[in-house]
Amino acid sequence: MLIGMDAGGTNTDLAMVDREVTSVKVPNTLGIREVLSHARAPGRLAVSTSTPLNRVLTGDPARVQTILIPGPGLFWPGGIRGAVNHRGDIVEHLDSTEVGGVLASSRGDVLAITGKFSVRNPSLEQEVAARALDHYAEERIAVSHHLATLDFPGRAATTRLNARMKEAVCLLAGEIGAERKDFFFFRGDGGLIPPAYAIRDPSVLYHSSTAAAALGAFYLSKVEECLVVDIGGTTTDLVRLSGGKPAMETIVADGERTVTRAVAAITLPYGGDSVIEETIQPRRMGNALAFGGIRPTLTDALNVTGCEIGNAGASGLLDRTSAERALEEYISLVSRAVAASGARMVVGTGYLAQFLVPRIARHSGASFTIPPHAECANAVGVAVSRVTLTLHARFDSGRGAVVFNGEPQELRTLGDDEAVLDRCRAEVKQRAIAAGADPRDVEDVRVLHFHAYDVVRSSFRSARIADVVVQIAPGITAEAP
Amino acid sequence: MKTALVFHPKYLLHEQSRDHPERKERLSYTLDQLREEGLFDHPSVEVFTPSEAPMEAVGRVHIPEYLRFLEQASRRGGFIDFDTNVPPGLFSHALLAAGGALRAADAVLSGEARNAFALVRPPGHHARPGTGAGFCYLNNVAIMVRHVQARGVKKVLILDWDAHHGDGTQQIFYEDPTVLFTSVHQWPFYPGSGAVEETGSGKGAGFTANMPVPAGTGDESYHFLFDTVIAPLAEEFSPDLIAISAGQDNHFTDPLTGLALTARGYADLMKKAVDLAENLCGGRLVAVLEGGYSVEGGLPYTNLGIIAAMAGLDLRNIREPEGYGEWLTRAGDPSAHAVVKEHAAALRANLAPFWQCFR
Repeated sequence: MLIGMDAGGTNTDLAMVDREVTSVKVPNTLGIREVLSHARAPGRLAVSTSTPLNRVLTGDPARVQTILIPGPGLFWPGGIRGAVNHRGDIVEHLDSTEVGGVLASSRGDVLAITGKFSVRNPSLEQEVAARALDHYAEERIAVSHHLATLDFPGRAATTRLNARMKEAVCLLAGEIGAERKDFFFFRGDGGLIPPAYAIRDPSVLYHSSTAAAALGAFYLSKVEECLVVDIGGTTTDLVRLSGGKPAMETIVADGERTVTRAVAAITLPYGGDSVIEETIQPRRMGNALAFGGIRPTLTDALNVTGCEIGNAGASGLLDRTSAERALEEYISLVSRAVAASGARMVVGTGYLAQFLVPRIARHSGASFTIPPHAECANAVGVAVSRVTLTLHARFDSGRGAVVFNGEPQELRTLGDDEAVLDRCRAEVKQRAIAAGADPRDVEDVRVLHFHAYDVVRSSFRSARIADVVVQIAPGITAEAP
Repeated sequence: MKTALVFHPKYLLHEQSRDHPERKERLSYTLDQLREEGLFDHPSVEVFTPSEAPMEAVGRVHIPEYLRFLEQASRRGGFIDFDTNVPPGLFSHALLAAGGALRAADAVLSGEARNAFALVRPPGHHARPGTGAGFCYLNNVAIMVRHVQARGVKKVLILDWDAHHGDGTQQIFYEDPTVLFTSVHQWPFYPGSGAVEETGSGKGAGFTANMPVPAGTGDESYHFLFDTVIAPLAEEFSPDLIAISAGQDNHFTDPLTGLALTARGYADLMKKAVDLAENLCGGRLVAVLEGGYSVEGGLPYTNLGIIAAMAGLDLRNIREPEGYGEWLTRAGDPSAHAVVKEHAAALRANLAPFWQCFR
């Protein structure tokens, strides 16, 4: 049994995928324990949630203290002394007094520490983080070396975001973990990771609900080339699938480019709960009348024009003219976005897809399909996803070290290029299986980058360096029926 | 407007042999530094991917016999001189390097970028019309200059600051008054040319300016030459585009040369060149990578400094790690500046008949 859970803003969708798909929608107000009580069956639980992010975005803005260790290079204001170079050597040490002073003087609510080239040698970042434990709880300190990729400003931005999200992810992981020990978080790129990975880099949860709907749409419809139109309560998300895989983009948070990739979506701020005042408004102000709310929404407009959703009678407070105008406006907005995307095939998901997608497709000149279980495609996508892992490896025989995802290990022998690649493939497979991957899912390891060269000093080859990135890509698990 | 950074992953692949100074390792650490600094996604930088230079463009500089030789030798490997082997597959890599210089120039001419740096390998400034030499096969800068002239640019100032004299480029434009070739280089040194007496000939008489400098020459002297020779010449010549043969082997850590320029010295020098281009030719400046063999200790910092200066970024932290101080002290020669001034005076005297600014 594969169990997928997508916690949205109002409700949590649960899908149990076995030979058949069963699903349930539970209001979030009942709490995690109640939601999880619907998923008692044995099997693998995977959770997609925007909760930590929403808590960050809607709660009191956290004061982020940023400590940068930039070393030589471009100028960064507020940087402290200390430098790691491109080989991973510490070429300038931290100034202990300065670190203590910075931590004591300008306290924030959370702390983000980013050192240049920390992905080659994390020790300066770790040294500052250890000192910071006197001032911050561990759940409020984020470091950058696990992000593994060379891009100091991108890592700094990601680490700031992570510092803000980390405590909420820890809390949620604890809540779910108390009910169910082994579970996975679903990433915004469509893969699964153990909770410890998400705590280290919470930014990967960004856009996860959108990714869930896209993956579910493909699993349920088997349509490889299409535009997924996922109609939710607050937004309508459009995601392009090519070869069955969603398009990806780099996340920009608070105007800052991060190093995290997630599903690329066009998000329109309208959904079933969008309130109607004269016409449809881009905001949610509680439930539809049909679900006990006090203001008419798009869902009520559908009921007034002949649908039967929830307590359809309650929608009658909305007059038919306003209902038709709001629907026209919504259909027109989404159709324009669909037409602009050039999509010829639309796959509709979300409960309202059955009522709205046929009209959207007709207006935009595209064909459409609404697969069975489209109303819980998001939770199905989470359920059928597989463990994904990207491994950044830096072998440096001169330093006698290999760094896997920001963590150095001793390197005894390097071997030829094929041996290096074999070692990376074996390492990523072993790590994925340790993280809980089905062995069948780790067979396809992709080499995303390989560059190897000799280190020549005084006319002699003294060492060899290899940079490798391998990946077990996101996709649908072999366990899925 | 942005600075164009022209780069192709294949620029990391060319290698004459595993131990040659011009090997894969040469740009690898620079690329690490640029990636770590986020320059490939920087709002002031636009990255362009080049393609191989067309034969028409290459043929404006090199003779058909040499191009045929290079193409054939590239099939199985060949030999030009003891510094310059032809490894299999070279021709394609050399065309891609020349193509990088062309893409940089096109980015500037089309207005896609204010200025451009082509981070190419293999280098080009020793290549003459009929042969390669000194690690060079095709003269990337010369091919680029002829290309922009074919696109309507009339006058080009070349500043070649590689530690080795750009003999190939000098020869190509020696009789051409539309191209003012200026070079600062260690002397005496490979390739042996580049004396203050070599000032051009025929219609090109007065359009070559060589500034030989002794071993141990550092930041102060380079800036002195820029201020007292290069800038006045440029202002009088009034170029439509400035091309820089950017060799980073003047850095004090370079194992093949004996000069003492710092990363900040390079950055400030480029800043002056950028300002000159702004004043004289609408900012049109195209830099093309030449030599530079301090692959680990120097190039990451010098190349970064140059790009930062071109993109108008804050240069105050462009520097080497602190532990390099003694190295710089050992590389510099306090007596070098007096020799530089002496050579500059001789050059100004030699050029005085041709240039008002030196009379």
